[in-house]
Amino acid sequence: MYKIAQHLAWLSLWRRKTRSLMVIMMIALSLSGLLGLQGLYDGMITHLINTTIRSDSGEISLYAKEYRLNKSLDHILNPVSHIEEKLLRVKGIKSYSIRLQQEGLIATAHKSLGATLKGISLESEQTFGQFDTFTTKGTYSFGEKNKGALIGSALAKKLNLEIGSRVIFTAQDVNNEINSISFRISGILKTGNPALDENSVFVSMEKMSQFLNLKDSATQIALRVEDTEQTEKIQKELRKSLENMEVLRWDELYPLLIQMRDIMEIFNLASYAIVFIVAALGIFGVMLVSVLERMREFSIMLAIGTPYKIVRDQIILEASLLGFIGFMAGAFLGWISLIYMSTAGIDLRSFEAGLEMYGYSAIMYADIHLYYFLQAFFAVFFATLLSVIWPLRILKKIKPIQVIQGKML
Amino acid sequence: MKLNHVYKTFYPDSPKEVKALTDINLMFEKGEFTTLSGESGSGKTTLLNIIGGLDSATSGQIFLDDEEISAYSEEKMAKLRLHDIGFIFQAYNLIHVLTVRENIGFIMKLLKFDDQEIDARVLELASILQIEDLLDKLPGEISGGQQQRVAVARAVASRPKLILADEPTANLDSKNSERLMNMLRTLNEKEHVTVIFASHDKYVLEQSKRIIVLDDGVVIEDR
Repeated sequence: MYKIAQHLAWLSLWRRKTRSLMVIMMIALSLSGLLGLQGLYDGMITHLINTTIRSDSGEISLYAKEYRLNKSLDHILNPVSHIEEKLLRVKGIKSYSIRLQQEGLIATAHKSLGATLKGISLESEQTFGQFDTFTTKGTYSFGEKNKGALIGSALAKKLNLEIGSRVIFTAQDVNNEINSISFRISGILKTGNPALDENSVFVSMEKMSQFLNLKDSATQIALRVEDTEQTEKIQKELRKSLENMEVLRWDELYPLLIQMRDIMEIFNLASYAIVFIVAALGIFGVMLVSVLERMREFSIMLAIGTPYKIVRDQIILEASLLGFIGFMAGAFLGWISLIYMSTAGIDLRSFEAGLEMYGYSAIMYADIHLYYFLQAFFAVFFATLLSVIWPLRILKKIKPIQVIQGKML
Repeated sequence: MKLNHVYKTFYPDSPKEVKALTDINLMFEKGEFTTLSGESGSGKTTLLNIIGGLDSATSGQIFLDDEEISAYSEEKMAKLRLHDIGFIFQAYNLIHVLTVRENIGFIMKLLKFDDQEIDARVLELASILQIEDLLDKLPGEISGGQQQRVAVARAVASRPKLILADEPTANLDSKNSERLMNMLRTLNEKEHVTVIFASHDKYVLEQSKRIIVLDDGVVIEDR
């Protein structure tokens, strides 16, 4: 009996090509939109987290106790060489970057602003987070004799700085003496991390140590791990061996990012629900009409003695086949659009200012995960099944002869 | 088949109430070739539908081979229709996604006849009804007269005990009407299939062995 239902379902799909194509196209288009949207939303937040990890926190950061509450040079990591020795003994650390920073005042001939001066090693940052890819103007270097500085794009804009502009940075050294140092801007960086872009000037570690009268010292050591799944395990190990330090993961340092991710997940879920409801209503509408318009045909089948089970199975199979083909087509289109958006990205530079305010990149890249397709499969599957429940209930209740005689529907 | 005090009322206890059949008492013997006749609205189609289990009586009993089929569940009634009754409707009512061949063999397929037997029976009926050339066409590709012949072939293919035909000649020209009646008559005589028509077509009435005339839901003549 099931074979007959299968045969009828297949014939019905094949011999009504226009209707079948219409349903398949509707499912495919809404599904590919759904997949694209999900990938893009996830990509936005992933990008934000990645740039934060690459440009600042790493997966784990080490600070001297109390430094984060009171950013004074009384709370620094020292001696760094000893810490490095300990780090080398911990398995799973891919790279690390030593930074020394001090807050102060940056001034040009026309304007001065509060800013943070950061001493870094260009080579270490390059290994750590491919820092050079953040360079938008000038070169990724500190120039001759380390007299150059890299500056955050937003700060450069505020101070109206260009490559070659001279700035003076004033800050307290370790002895509480006010010192000044002059640099020429050699490069402008756009990291996507608002804290860095709006507030930071990067100089060589040697210059910074001299400027602050410090040796073998750092305010932060950021670590990248080989396997992000092992982050917590490595953190625990470091906490044991570096008892007098703060060992914090990126999500502990940037709880806002986690909140944003959670909000985005809710937003994602809400968008997904809306698109799903729209798609489900679309599928429901088309399936409902396609069953209702054939109510006479099904009534004839029932009238001549076809068991209800066969008609029911035929309708469910038809809907499932349409849903499955629609899903395959939609998943393919969605996959293509996700591949495109994850490699070429979507250029939203016309909204750059607004996006950068929230740390988003003006070129958005999508994420691709297998679970998107699994979620979509179940969404289509349930929408398709839901769409045939009502018509089947109608079919179960009616007297076939009333439909055949045109007294119903 | 025996009908005892059968009544049918549409929209009972409402202002739209219609008494379609009143106290119908009839007996049909095996191998009858009978027509239910009467003006439009006399209740002949309603009676035919009740005999075939497509509609239920408001009250009364219907027996087939001494079994009360009026008490059957919808599922049991569908089984009875499938196994024992062939329907020919006024508007052909073929299944549009099936070819002529598949339509004729559809009920046999449901009854699990083997494919060879189905093919042989389809060819036999197609030859009798002169529709051999149409076997691979879809209903939408053939004329009304041809569709009615296919509907007849579908109704008789599984050799049911009873064939019920509602105005089968209403949409046919005289030549096709004659062909259809000859076919049903041959089946009736050779295979002792009981045939009951609902019709007011003179030609059908002339061919019938028994005529039951209804007027306003009441049997006024049985000859």
